[in-house]
Amino acid sequence: MDELLEQFLIEGRDLIAQGASDFARLARDPGDAAAVDSAFRAIHTLKGSVGIFPMGPAERVLHAAEDVLERARKGRGALDAAAVTGLVACLDAVDRWVDQIEGGALAPDAERLAAEVIAQLPGHAEASAAPVSGEVPDWLAGLAEREWPAIDAAAGPLTAFRYTPDADCFFRGEDPLAIVAEVPELVALAILPASGAWPAQDVIEPFACVSVLEGLSAAPADAVRATFRMMPDQVVLHRLDPAARPEAGLAETAARATAVLRVDAARVDALADGLGELVVAVNAFAPLAEQADKVDRALAATIRTVQANIERVAGDLHRGVSAVRQVPLAATLRRLPRMAREIAGGLGKGVDFDVSGEGLEVDKQIADGLFEPLLHLIRNAIDHGIETPAAREAAGKPAQGSVRLAARRDGDAILVTLEDDGAGIDAARIRAAAVSRGLIGEEAASQLTDTAALRLIFAPGFSTASEVTEVSGRGVGMDAVQASVERLRGTIDITSEPGRGTRFRLRLPANALTTRLLVVEVGSDRYGVALDQIVETVRIDSNALMPVGGGAACVLRGRTVPVLSLAALLGGADAPSPTAKLLVTRSGGERVALKVDGFAERIDTLVRPSSGILAGVPGVTGSTLLGDGGVLLVLDLPALAA
Amino acid sequence: MSVHVEDDVIHLAGRCQAEDAETLLVALQEGPDRIVDLAEVQRMHLAVAQVLLGARPAIRGNPANAFLARHFVNLLQ
Repeated sequence: MDELLEQFLIEGRDLIAQGASDFARLARDPGDAAAVDSAFRAIHTLKGSVGIFPMGPAERVLHAAEDVLERARKGRGALDAAAVTGLVACLDAVDRWVDQIEGGALAPDAERLAAEVIAQLPGHAEASAAPVSGEVPDWLAGLAEREWPAIDAAAGPLTAFRYTPDADCFFRGEDPLAIVAEVPELVALAILPASGAWPAQDVIEPFACVSVLEGLSAAPADAVRATFRMMPDQVVLHRLDPAARPEAGLAETAARATAVLRVDAARVDALADGLGELVVAVNAFAPLAEQADKVDRALAATIRTVQANIERVAGDLHRGVSAVRQVPLAATLRRLPRMAREIAGGLGKGVDFDVSGEGLEVDKQIADGLFEPLLHLIRNAIDHGIETPAAREAAGKPAQGSVRLAARRDGDAILVTLEDDGAGIDAARIRAAAVSRGLIGEEAASQLTDTAALRLIFAPGFSTASEVTEVSGRGVGMDAVQASVERLRGTIDITSEPGRGTRFRLRLPANALTTRLLVVEVGSDRYGVALDQIVETVRIDSNALMPVGGGAACVLRGRTVPVLSLAALLGGADAPSPTAKLLVTRSGGERVALKVDGFAERIDTLVRPSSGILAGVPGVTGSTLLGDGGVLLVLDLPALAA
Repeated sequence: MSVHVEDDVIHLAGRCQAEDAETLLVALQEGPDRIVDLAEVQRMHLAVAQVLLGARPAIRGNPANAFLARHFVNLLQ
């Protein structure tokens, strides 16, 4: 994808999220002046960025929304609930167009939709003139930050200009650089990429103007304006008077603008990879110290001290890099409210969708991977959970259903809860449906607890909708939701009360850089198991294992848990021993114990996803390099125990 | 010939027009390590300037044109 567009997708969606959160504040308190200001800035900036792409309808809609906000800022038109609803509709439309432009072009109905949402805005006909705002625009803050030596050295007032030529001005024979060269008393000049970054060499379009030219002149504003008389609409001017120094706000804005650094995620990933290698390299000290023990105790002790020091520093670094990779969940959650409204609208249902915890920061990988499963769960909740308005009223509920998504931190994990107040899921119906689809035998089904029966909806090929609606017939099934959550090394569980609603709880690691592994021994081989897949490790007397059917089981904390031999699962022979060492994991929501021959050390390491030959091996998630250069296969316990 | 390549040096000379941007871009794509010599430049179109700003090649020589020498070369540092 072209870099300009990529940058726009990131920044445009950020601005949409900002606007959406400001509108949410305005919905609660229409008089919130700070929210009006913030929304105005977001919409104004967004209007500028859509202008670079073939998104005319978006530009018109944003312009109209900006007018409404501008009047509210000037105290000439208070925002009522209808105005806020209209603004939200505008933003939803633009959000949809951003999705479409990502796919290539706006849908044919864009013009019609634009007219529709603009018509929803209050007093739209009296569009005001372009705002002349007294406040410091963002570009000026950046310029002040860049050119402070020139500003400090200036003897008198300066004129700052920002000239944004058309993308196709070269074709008209214009040369913006030649025009700027004519600016009288030019003090400073910067040529900046219009999209925030220069296009990469392989995608740069040499005949498209992708620059913005900003500069300072010691000449009066009128003299500078005269230079741009052929393109007055492409230039913004601002007077700077260093003597008056009304720029406390300016410095503050400038400082804020530079406090945030956008770094290409790939660079951070490379840093994380290198750090993973470092952690692995440090693991090599342990066997070295053991060897040294045989010849020189004191040397071994020194090596262990050195190891501890390097590990401490690597740990600090790791925390630092993890922190850089942490992104607010807002990026993942921001598109969901609009999608929830669209899904509900398409099904003729009213849904109040509420999101909390957007400020929570999680590892980028987790944030990116959460969107699809959450979207599907929301779809599922609105489609199958929330009843039609008529059915709700008959059941004595408010006609509008409620779906709440909440994220919160819980130690090293994040908990994401999606609750609806819909019809709930009837475990008996799930059992019957699973039996009739041949997913499970009648007897086995009757023995399932209600909790376990509900989990059957995650089984591939399961759907309880009596008719496949357009919504549920599209996209992935609940089995894919579970798979994508497990790929993030998370778990998902489900509770439901018929008539009252359903709750899905996702538990995910907040950090995903290095994995803590427990090394286990199976016969003469060693394997790694992610600690977050292990509920507990226990040693029990082999006599306590009871044969059940073709396998074995034991009683742990008053519950019967099936016991599988890891050696047998990996195609080897089970070696009997007086004490059974068990790894307890969860598979499909139920506890399962895997018998191993020994527990070895715990290591922190970078697990590389399976590739090549390994990719086809079930039950292996990846591999890691050991300190001695050996390779350790990392097992996926839930998959092995399934 | 406002853009010509000699070994690993790309010389920009005289009045570099918009159409020279493409020639320069190709020369840089073929040899990303090439040095760009600006000593002979009299005028430079923004299209050419954009390619330099995006590709950030090593630069040598100072343009004869005062405006470029004062306000453009420093942007390539």
